[in-house]
Amino acid sequence: MKRILTLIMAFLLMFSFCIMPVSADETDDYTTDDLLVYENESLPRLVDDYDLLTYSEEEEITAKLDSISEKHSCDVVIVTVYSLDGKSAMEYADDFYDYNGYGFGDSSDGILLLVSMEYRDYWITTTGSAITAFTDAGLDYIEDDFVSYLSDGDYYTAFDIFAEDCDKFLTQAETDEPYDYGNMPKEPMNIPLWILISLALASLVTCIPMGILRAQIKNVRSKANASDYVKQGSMSLTESRDQFLYRHVDRRLKPQNSGGGSSTHFGSSGTSHGGSGGKF
Amino acid sequence: MSTLQEYKCPCCGGAIAFDSGLQKMKCPYCDTEFEVESLLGYDKDLNSEGAENLIWETNPGSQWQEDEAGNIRSYVCKSCGGEIIGDENTAATSCPYCGNPVVMMQQFTGNLKPDYIIPFKLDKNSAKQGLLGHLMKKKLLPKVFKDENHIDEVKGIYVPFWLFDADVNADIRYRATKVHYWSDSRYDYTETSFYSIFRSGNIGFEHVPVDGSSKMPDDLMESVEPYNFADVKDFQTAYLAGYVADKYDVTAEQSITRANERIKTSTEQSFASTVQGYATVTPEASNVRLSNGKAKYALFPIWLLNTTWKDKKYTFAMNGQTGKFVGDLPMDKGAYWKWRAIYTLIFAVLIFGVRCLFQLF
Repeated sequence: MKRILTLIMAFLLMFSFCIMPVSADETDDYTTDDLLVYENESLPRLVDDYDLLTYSEEEEITAKLDSISEKHSCDVVIVTVYSLDGKSAMEYADDFYDYNGYGFGDSSDGILLLVSMEYRDYWITTTGSAITAFTDAGLDYIEDDFVSYLSDGDYYTAFDIFAEDCDKFLTQAETDEPYDYGNMPKEPMNIPLWILISLALASLVTCIPMGILRAQIKNVRSKANASDYVKQGSMSLTESRDQFLYRHVDRRLKPQNSGGGSSTHFGSSGTSHGGSGGKF
Repeated sequence: MSTLQEYKCPCCGGAIAFDSGLQKMKCPYCDTEFEVESLLGYDKDLNSEGAENLIWETNPGSQWQEDEAGNIRSYVCKSCGGEIIGDENTAATSCPYCGNPVVMMQQFTGNLKPDYIIPFKLDKNSAKQGLLGHLMKKKLLPKVFKDENHIDEVKGIYVPFWLFDADVNADIRYRATKVHYWSDSRYDYTETSFYSIFRSGNIGFEHVPVDGSSKMPDDLMESVEPYNFADVKDFQTAYLAGYVADKYDVTAEQSITRANERIKTSTEQSFASTVQGYATVTPEASNVRLSNGKAKYALFPIWLLNTTWKDKKYTFAMNGQTGKFVGDLPMDKGAYWKWRAIYTLIFAVLIFGVRCLFQLF
């Protein structure tokens, strides 16, 4: 019985060896042809290859991306795909952007959000002027905003927030002072939470006037000191020493404001990209 | 020699009393006024120690239990012959029958003679006005209290006080810190410097009062402080005419602890105020020594008002010299929660508003 089992195991092992090189080969000689490249020039700014959105949602998002892109002369693109075809999310996003001819002007200004469902990767790639508009810190901020919705499967909201944030960042970038470390858009205020905090703080502060009101009706209390009866000018110090003993220095690292800015890399097409991403 | 002293008007023979407005003796019948000093002769026996003439009669009968009887003294009014009942400490009162003010002289003989007295400056009407003023503008006071409470009695009382003088010598050691902040490009620095501080010196206290009557609540008496010692007069029984007075029943020895407490606290506060320029100051060791302690016996003027509201008694006291009015009042629970809610809401709106402004800019 044992012998048969080992035989089967060996067979399976051999079989898998036969398969492995083949599949490895396939991914290795990957070319741009495998990429989802649209032949026509006018690519939509929302490419929902995975069909995460309904038709009407797709239309809404596309309209939004179009208007934001036109307004700021900077393409804002969202792409969903089945798999990354063995590439990293960064490479796939960069290549998708470069080879599909996105971007405004000579520097191909634009930003692209790639969502791959296979291993639940996402990547934001920035190109041209978008690299300065979306700094590393800025991208972190945007990711914080929308990635939780991606994780929850609420793709429409996630994309909508992404588009809104891009609009906000691009608008700010036009003031020559793009959002960056130390200069972030303010988090939206959590109104119910702040109502609670206000009430809690207020109920503490209220103790002050209430104490005054209470003291008005309860004013019988012992006098702790005899300051009313100090003989005038009788206080005299015969000895007064202030002696330094030792000092203690506490040193704390400042919160790192590492200059902000964007880190860049080169895509396979030789274009410089900024970007950031992760799993959701 | 009589134990009961009535002050008779030399003009008409009517009983006279001290008038707080005039600061003189005044006859209510013929409006004659006298300087208090002119009645000094009446007090000439007070310093003769001993010879305590037991002319007052203790009521021996079977009406009183023994322990009660010990506290009761009865006197015979010289004007009308009525019986005046007082306790063992009563030193001045008025006859319940004819209303004439009387002073029990033997309560002030020998070492019972007070050294000082601050005469009443404010009269009964000021005390009633004082109560009205006390009830004004108090949001937590039940609205109906002002109309519904009724004043049971208003008494002008000379309360016995012990006045303590002391020279204080103190050595106090403190531990103090200074904090200094700065930063360079990489680090924030907090430098805490520790100091040992020593203060040694003298301070003197004069006339620290301690209530010498066990009948008077100590906290109530301390609440109407301070008295202005500038108005103090050498004691004369004539000042008592028309008021109620008690002699002390708490001795100076029993009172001194309280005076020492207050003197010690004050000394420490005064010394601490000389330690300046530090972020924190903590006393480490304190040695306060009192010397040249002297106790004087004085009578201070208090208006005492008793009112009743919803079967509860409320006691108020007014400083008969300065007019300082104190006394606990009932609290309107409903008003308390109403105001609490209003203030909470106001502060909540303010805090929320500031937070919103912060969001905008």
